[in-house]
Amino acid sequence: MSLAQEGKGDLELICPAGTPAALRAAVDAGAEAVYLGFRDETNARNFPGLNFSPAELETGLAYAHGRGCKVFVAINTFPRAGAPEAWRRAVDCAAELGVDAVILADIGLLDYAARHHPGLRLHLSVQASASNAEAIRFYHEAFGVKRVVLPRVLTVEDIAELNARIPVETEVFAFGGMCPMAEGRCLLSSYVTGKSPNITGVCSPASHVRYLERGTEMVSRLGEFTINVFQRSDAAGYPTLCKGRFVVGDRASYLFEAPTSLNVLPLLPELMAAGVSALKIEGRQRGRAYTAQVVAAFRAAVDACRRGEAMPEMSALDAITEGQSETSGAYRRAWR
Amino acid sequence: MVPPFSPILLGGFLLSALPSRLLQPLLRAIMGAVARRHPAMLERLGPYADTVFLIDPIDLPIRFLLRVDAQQPKLTIARGADAARAGAVVRGSLLALIDLLEGRVDGDALFFSRRLAIEGDTEAVVALRNAVDGEEIDIIDDILVHAGPLARPARSAVKRLIRLARRAGHDMALLQAALLQPVIERIESQTAETERLRQAMAGAAQFRGRRGAAPAATLLAGSE
Amino acid sequence: MTGKPAPTLALGPMLFHWEAARWRDFYFRIADEAPIDTVYLGEVVCAKRRPFILPYLPEVCARLERAGKNVVFSTLALIMTEQEMDGIREAIADPIIEAPIFEANDIATAALLAGRPHVIGPFVNAYNEDTIAYLAARGAFRISLPAELSITALQALGRTEAVRTVGFEVQVFGRLPLAISARCYHARAHDLHKDGCQFVCAKDPDGLTIETLDNEPFLAINGTQTLSDSYCSLLGELQTLRDAGIVSFRLWPHSCDMVQVAALFDAALGDVLAPEAAAARLRGVVGDVPLANGYLQGREGHLWLDATAAAGTASAAAMRAAK
Repeated sequence: MSLAQEGKGDLELICPAGTPAALRAAVDAGAEAVYLGFRDETNARNFPGLNFSPAELETGLAYAHGRGCKVFVAINTFPRAGAPEAWRRAVDCAAELGVDAVILADIGLLDYAARHHPGLRLHLSVQASASNAEAIRFYHEAFGVKRVVLPRVLTVEDIAELNARIPVETEVFAFGGMCPMAEGRCLLSSYVTGKSPNITGVCSPASHVRYLERGTEMVSRLGEFTINVFQRSDAAGYPTLCKGRFVVGDRASYLFEAPTSLNVLPLLPELMAAGVSALKIEGRQRGRAYTAQVVAAFRAAVDACRRGEAMPEMSALDAITEGQSETSGAYRRAWR
Repeated sequence: MVPPFSPILLGGFLLSALPSRLLQPLLRAIMGAVARRHPAMLERLGPYADTVFLIDPIDLPIRFLLRVDAQQPKLTIARGADAARAGAVVRGSLLALIDLLEGRVDGDALFFSRRLAIEGDTEAVVALRNAVDGEEIDIIDDILVHAGPLARPARSAVKRLIRLARRAGHDMALLQAALLQPVIERIESQTAETERLRQAMAGAAQFRGRRGAAPAATLLAGSE
Repeated sequence: MTGKPAPTLALGPMLFHWEAARWRDFYFRIADEAPIDTVYLGEVVCAKRRPFILPYLPEVCARLERAGKNVVFSTLALIMTEQEMDGIREAIADPIIEAPIFEANDIATAALLAGRPHVIGPFVNAYNEDTIAYLAARGAFRISLPAELSITALQALGRTEAVRTVGFEVQVFGRLPLAISARCYHARAHDLHKDGCQFVCAKDPDGLTIETLDNEPFLAINGTQTLSDSYCSLLGELQTLRDAGIVSFRLWPHSCDMVQVAALFDAALGDVLAPEAAAARLRGVVGDVPLANGYLQGREGHLWLDATAAAGTASAAAMRAAK
């Protein structure tokens, strides 16, 4: 029944745009939709030098729509107590400019959007951490959410089972940075830096990152804590704190997750069969060269998958992956 | 960071002979062109107008100080004491830095592969990277925008030069690897020998420690 | 001050995997000795642990109720399978006491509980008045707020209409739950897979401390959950919190003497003991663990800051609001 529904199993390619240049790169490389955020704390990639002003969004929309590409706007942090105006304005602005969907996480903001912009298509952000059918049905029934971005905690089998039970489309993370924790429920960043994904729209922010040379080693620190130490020959990683090396007992290891990139290319046929509607490529904070490369690779792979052909070789992505290694993450039960 | 063995490294020694009073006007012209052609980039960098960036092409004998103040952006040659004033440092080979500037490579990818190093105010560097990446910068065009009728031939000449340097850099890296290979092999075999000796010593110590228990079994276990 | 409900102490659900008899005895002692108003009971972290405590739940619940405690049944924080969901559906449909109150720690459970009085736990994101009003309209009468909210945010909530319909609860003692995952870190630390975990998390009654490469204590793991290494303590900020409109104060259970911990917070809340004296005595109870209160001042959660600064922030914010 699930596959018979419109959009299910389509594998629409959703691509990141941290800047107008990245938006053009994604559209040109074959994205079916790009997602982006405003240049403020209303989105979960509130990184320095990134994101869109309303005027840039307007120009970007014209560019994307002119080429048959949709634009989704992520307004996926949780509005500050006593000051919801910035978030409401962001929703109003996105609606007025005619975006194809907004990606929201907060219940209050979903309620606002559903009441004030009944025609606006609502997607549920991964930050809402809706990991089961009951939760997804709630967001659908309460606010008319049409699509949910699934948290990176489910296996392909879980996703297939879920898709059979819910009346909305599912979007899954396909490539890029990996949260090993349930998204939207993680306070690790604010514990160490005072800045969090939920409130400030950042995780392990660059403002609190320091790289120190120590003899032949390089030490990466976040706030007051050492997150990792690299030898000169090691592939380095950004000190996202759940991708650090820590000591339990006497042993140092990547306890939470290694600095590795998610890559579902080998799983595409399974995800399609599981009824997944859209693939999300992570990386609004990465350069437009990254965007162009990853989108082109996934474009080719999804097209091959839709035609029922074998996956093309994808070694081109190795160099741009974090730690230069890849994982299929939570999609395989062995990850747990 | 060790500079790559490349034509830039060799050519750079020529640059050091050039007095800065000849280079400085060129840098001023470049910055002026960037400010005119990419105002949105400087606008994105508003919060970092006061940050002094030290740009350190490791294969050149000179380093640069950069300020991204939208009113008065500045690119100057860093002298010894100036470097200490920098709030943030970006370090890499000249070609890697140009690739980054022109958005040809992803900064994270460069960093993950350790070809780019940053120090100091990481947030400012990330902002700079993001803002630069958000512009479609062609640094050669920016430099040559004032060359008038000479711009086009000069442009293709410079681009050819960079292409050549890139290819030569690759060839020279191969050459370097070939020259170093025998040395590396010798070090590796010495390291392996040292490790064998170390383990043998540890085995002997363990044997002494457990004397009387089951020496034969211990020896066997140690040799496996 | 008229009309303000008296502040009460709540004991959050046991986050760690204690041996079942020890778990039972712990709650018996809480029932008999601790000045606690509300006791949250039930497994929040890992569905696999739930069968161990189920046999003891009725007697523990009965003992607590006989002692006059309000019992609230806590539920899973991260629901990933239909079996886990069914476990919660059954608990709600077939309760062990009449008219039980449940705490929802996933929005799915809040959806199941819609239309009847329930508590929203700290694992559901309730950051602002709009969300709180929405949840309250569906039956939430108490909301345990996210640990990372600053005093400024709490005061802002306290000034909204929402405070009239729900009681706000804040975490004031214990290691702070910081993250939850599908992956079991306890199993991983012991080179095991989650499916064959051998319940190694039971070895660490307060969680397992992890250190940085510089051997500095950093976080603690508890199965799929990650907590702070330091213990939150807001003894010095209780008055500021009360002024902000907080009515319930949550203590997280630990292996230290929780009856004494509760007695100290009760004394400080009742102005029987000065905060400084209570803090000094708390130090004697919890032993040599780092304390933290940074979140309340809008800072890094791991920091230990002078509590009077929070009051200062509070009064500065109040002055700004008054202008």
